[in-house]
Amino acid sequence: MGLVGIATEKILSSFSVFLFLTILLLAVARRISSSVLLFGLQSAIIAAEVLATAFQEKLPEIYIVGALVFVIKVVAIPRAFFLLTKRLKTVRDVKASTTPTQSVFIVAAIIYLSYAAVHSYGGAVHVPDDPLAAAISLILTGAFLMVSRKKALMQMLGLLVLENGIFLAALITTFGMPLVIEIGIFFDILMGLLLMGIFTFRISDTFEHLDVSKLRRLRG
Amino acid sequence: MKITLDILQVLMLILGAPLVHGIIARLKARLQRRRGASIWRPYAELFKLLRKEELVPPTSSAVFRLAPIVLFGATVCAAAFVPVVHASALLGSRGDFFLFVYMLVLGRFFLSLGALDGGSAFGGMGASREALVSSLAEAPFLLGLVAIAVLATRADIAGMVAWTLEQNIFNISAVHILALTSLAMVILAETGRMPVDNPTTHLELTMIHEGMVLEYSGRSLALVEWASAIKLHTMFALLIALFFPWGMAFSVSGWGVVVALLLYCAKTAVLMILLSVIESAVAKLRMYLVPDFLGVASALSALAVIFTMWVKR
Amino acid sequence: MLTGPIGAAFVFLLAVLSVLVPLILIASRAEGARRLAVALIVTASFAGCVVAVSSFLRQPGPVLDLSRATPFPFSLAVDRLSAFFLLLVCAVAIPVTIFAAPYFDLHYSERRRNWTWGFFSMFLLSMIVVVTAATGFAFLVGWELMTLVSAGLILIEGDSTERRHNVFIYLLMMHVGAAAVAACFFLFLPYSHSLDFGAIRAACLGMPGGIRAAIFLAAFVGFGAKAGLIPMHLWLPRAHPIAPSPVSALMSGIMLKTAVYGFVRFAFDFLAGGPWWSGYVVLVVAAVTGLLGILYAIAENDLKRLLAYSSVENIGIIFLGLGTSLMFLAHGAPLGAALALVAALFHAFNHALFKSLLFLGAGAISNSTDSVNLNELGGLQRRMPFTGAAVLIGCCSIAGLPLFNGFVGEWLTFRSFLAGSTLINTKAQIILPLMVGILALIGGLAAACFVKTFGMAFLGRPRSTGSEQAEEAPIGMRVGLALLSAGCLAIGILPGLLLRPLVTLVQVLVPGAGVPEETLSIARIIPWTAAIVLGTGALVALFKRRERIARTWACGLPGLTSRMQYTSTVFSKPIRFVFARVYRPDRKVEELPADQHYFPVSISYRSVRTTSYERALYRPFVDGVVSLAYRLRRLQTGNIQVYLLYIFLALVSLLTFLRFQR
Repeated sequence: MGLVGIATEKILSSFSVFLFLTILLLAVARRISSSVLLFGLQSAIIAAEVLATAFQEKLPEIYIVGALVFVIKVVAIPRAFFLLTKRLKTVRDVKASTTPTQSVFIVAAIIYLSYAAVHSYGGAVHVPDDPLAAAISLILTGAFLMVSRKKALMQMLGLLVLENGIFLAALITTFGMPLVIEIGIFFDILMGLLLMGIFTFRISDTFEHLDVSKLRRLRG
Repeated sequence: MKITLDILQVLMLILGAPLVHGIIARLKARLQRRRGASIWRPYAELFKLLRKEELVPPTSSAVFRLAPIVLFGATVCAAAFVPVVHASALLGSRGDFFLFVYMLVLGRFFLSLGALDGGSAFGGMGASREALVSSLAEAPFLLGLVAIAVLATRADIAGMVAWTLEQNIFNISAVHILALTSLAMVILAETGRMPVDNPTTHLELTMIHEGMVLEYSGRSLALVEWASAIKLHTMFALLIALFFPWGMAFSVSGWGVVVALLLYCAKTAVLMILLSVIESAVAKLRMYLVPDFLGVASALSALAVIFTMWVKR
Repeated sequence: MLTGPIGAAFVFLLAVLSVLVPLILIASRAEGARRLAVALIVTASFAGCVVAVSSFLRQPGPVLDLSRATPFPFSLAVDRLSAFFLLLVCAVAIPVTIFAAPYFDLHYSERRRNWTWGFFSMFLLSMIVVVTAATGFAFLVGWELMTLVSAGLILIEGDSTERRHNVFIYLLMMHVGAAAVAACFFLFLPYSHSLDFGAIRAACLGMPGGIRAAIFLAAFVGFGAKAGLIPMHLWLPRAHPIAPSPVSALMSGIMLKTAVYGFVRFAFDFLAGGPWWSGYVVLVVAAVTGLLGILYAIAENDLKRLLAYSSVENIGIIFLGLGTSLMFLAHGAPLGAALALVAALFHAFNHALFKSLLFLGAGAISNSTDSVNLNELGGLQRRMPFTGAAVLIGCCSIAGLPLFNGFVGEWLTFRSFLAGSTLINTKAQIILPLMVGILALIGGLAAACFVKTFGMAFLGRPRSTGSEQAEEAPIGMRVGLALLSAGCLAIGILPGLLLRPLVTLVQVLVPGAGVPEETLSIARIIPWTAAIVLGTGALVALFKRRERIARTWACGLPGLTSRMQYTSTVFSKPIRFVFARVYRPDRKVEELPADQHYFPVSISYRSVRTTSYERALYRPFVDGVVSLAYRLRRLQTGNIQVYLLYIFLALVSLLTFLRFQR
């Protein structure tokens, strides 16, 4: 077994707790930079989990997926965000429409809901409860962030958290999709980010702000 | 023999408290690139204050004089509930953690009354803010302790410590992590540390605890300062006992106790370093953001209680 | 039956309060007659305590059957539950009566004094009848008498329009509650064929579930309205503050507990636990009551209205215990049910003690300073040290601090919530520990509220001339305050005194439960805690201490006045700000003259707090009823032929109905 084996086991059995902590902290984060840091931390935990799964299941292609996750989501995307915030010179506040207390209670309710949903399937799907509940919580929290944060950059971040959740759910239930599909998904995300980057520049140029709640001219 | 060890635990918590204060102050000074005062300075200050005469406001009544004594007595009694070197405490009994929390409330109640007796605006300001912070901090405190109690199926602090001692240190449970985070936040609020309150401030508008003790001098001030140091030390001991108790003596033998004592000092040192770093790195919260801070702590501890349902399957 | 000294004492108690005292007061207006009446009331209450204690120790207690003299069966019996509440009534009545003697002398004219004492003794009599009733008729008679006599006592105090409006609301809500209580009794009739409590208890075993659920709901609504559960507590903050202080003490301290007695009698003695949803409903209502009660209390500046809202909060805490007990019963855990019931009844007794103490303190304050507005008091501790010490004990007790009696009740409630985590049902397993958080929040806010109350009233500088010239209360008032304070301290330090009898009582109400060991452990540990705190205090006080009077530090400003202190309004502002969604005040700022915006001559600020349920629940309901009444007025045309037409139509419809029933 060795030290690596023990570490792998511990990671696999308890990583979901730390994911819960990151989404609870995302609910109360007040600055875009701290939200991005939390997203990076989240992706690092997921990358560690991918590598641990690869070690345990002995599937070499998952190593590549793990490396991809690390490079893209832990290094590249947060750096891109930081560069964007510097270039756009926006105010650093997250502009949430709910107070931190309300947000954290909503996220706590989301966590409870995910566990309740996972429980009702019980042992039908042969998957441990905690990681699946973590994945569903990530998806719902990503959606909540997109709904309640008014800055366009935070909408992007919410989408990324959502994608983290979908990725984790896919990973748990199928022990890794084929490598080609993984690369396809990553490419998708990159294109989406590029587009969002271009659009935020244009929005900020035209309107001098990035508050999506004020962008409502296109009404029926 | 067990009773002697319990009494020695309480004495250690009481007498070691100013040292904890001194070390934290020196660490903060070092982090701020100053040299800092000696770590034994709080003892010298206590001796000095005990010998000085007291100045008492003309409008004050017996409550003003009584408050520091009640505060000190209540805090000392609270220290008698916490195990330090072995899984037993002097006043340990089933359901004692409620009594522990409410002993601290008793102390704060009388301190607020003493503050109002001074007849100035500072006391009222401190007491009114303290009322806000303490009323909101009780729920997460008790919920966090209840989560651990439900997990351990024991209702006394010593029992929870004994249960934790039997667990594997690497079995990280979601309940413990959530309860630890929530209790850490509550401890920052209860002991009046950053980011909730600045213990070294001189500006009236930023005072909570300092505002309440502004009128005290001489022996009363010594009692109040000592009580606040004992409270911090007791909270540290509680955190260590509930979450990192490994190393505590199982039997009342000489070597076991010595080893447990050394390990306790090491763990307290880690907590002191953490507290100094947090205090130097974080800015004080605006007062109306403190309820949000405590709301997060409440949500975390409520979630910890909910999680016990799934762990105990 | 009525044999022996105990029976005689019981008859003495009833006879004095119902017949003797009113006769004396009607017969003569002399001072001596009044003193005799007061002495008789105190002696009778003491006899009542003796009856209660001895009936508790040795059952069966005295039974008084007056059925031959009354149109419906009327009998009084003292079983264990009645004995506990009888002790509560009589034990609190003694200090209140002793306090009331000098208080009424100073506040009322001669003629009104006689009327007041007459009503006072009838009030005590009605409460004793309610808790010792053994038939439905006796219960309802006592219930109605309580309402009417207390309304009379309020009206004796004064006769303004606002007072009459408040009394009207009080009578209205009490009668709604009484209707529900009467419905409870009458729902039993088809099954028990008589309203005797024994027959009702026997009939319960064979009743269908639907009827039992209906009876439980009717009992909850009826007794809840009398106890002051939200949203039926509208009358409490209107009626309690305008009564004279000793009467407020009786209303808040004892009358609310008769509602608790009624609920316990129905839910635990007759129905043996409600339907499976009963625990949840009671818990939710109680939690809301506790929270909203204390939040409204903190926002109040009138001392007596603050105490009234605080009574609402404590009733919430008592019903939290009762709801937990019902939940344990529904899930088949009698030990937990026993613990929760002990907690609720213990807190009820404690509340009677410290709430009466606080209302009597408010009476002493209003007697000395002619004001109960916290913004006008201050610095009273130096001028009224004895009253201050007594009120301090009351405030510490109600804040739930250890070493005072309020703490043990809350501790037992917390322990029963914790015991909920051992239940099998997952919903209950989670809700009960989460209630710990709610009760902790209520307790924290209560402590903050009473720091404000005591601090603003007694500490600091006097804020008005009335407070500057206050004098210590007369000796009679001090004796009353001292008795209640001694009770609070005694039960606080030695809770076993009351816990052991309560456990015996609860074992009768909840069959199959053992002795909850929590009651034993707390009785053991509290005296040690008290020893350590007092010992440390004594040790510290031994050290020599010199003191010198010097000016308050205020950044060196000379001449601090009393307006530079914090007032009650400001003290509660942070909490009111955080909970602004609950309060929603209507704020109006008016500048005069309206066109000179930058140079106003006067600016006025008005903030009116209407409680949210009043706006959302009562106003639309009342408006709907009134508009319906207006529409029905059209039936009354004044034309005699239309009335003859009504009679004709009634006959025709009756015949049609008979025809189609075949």
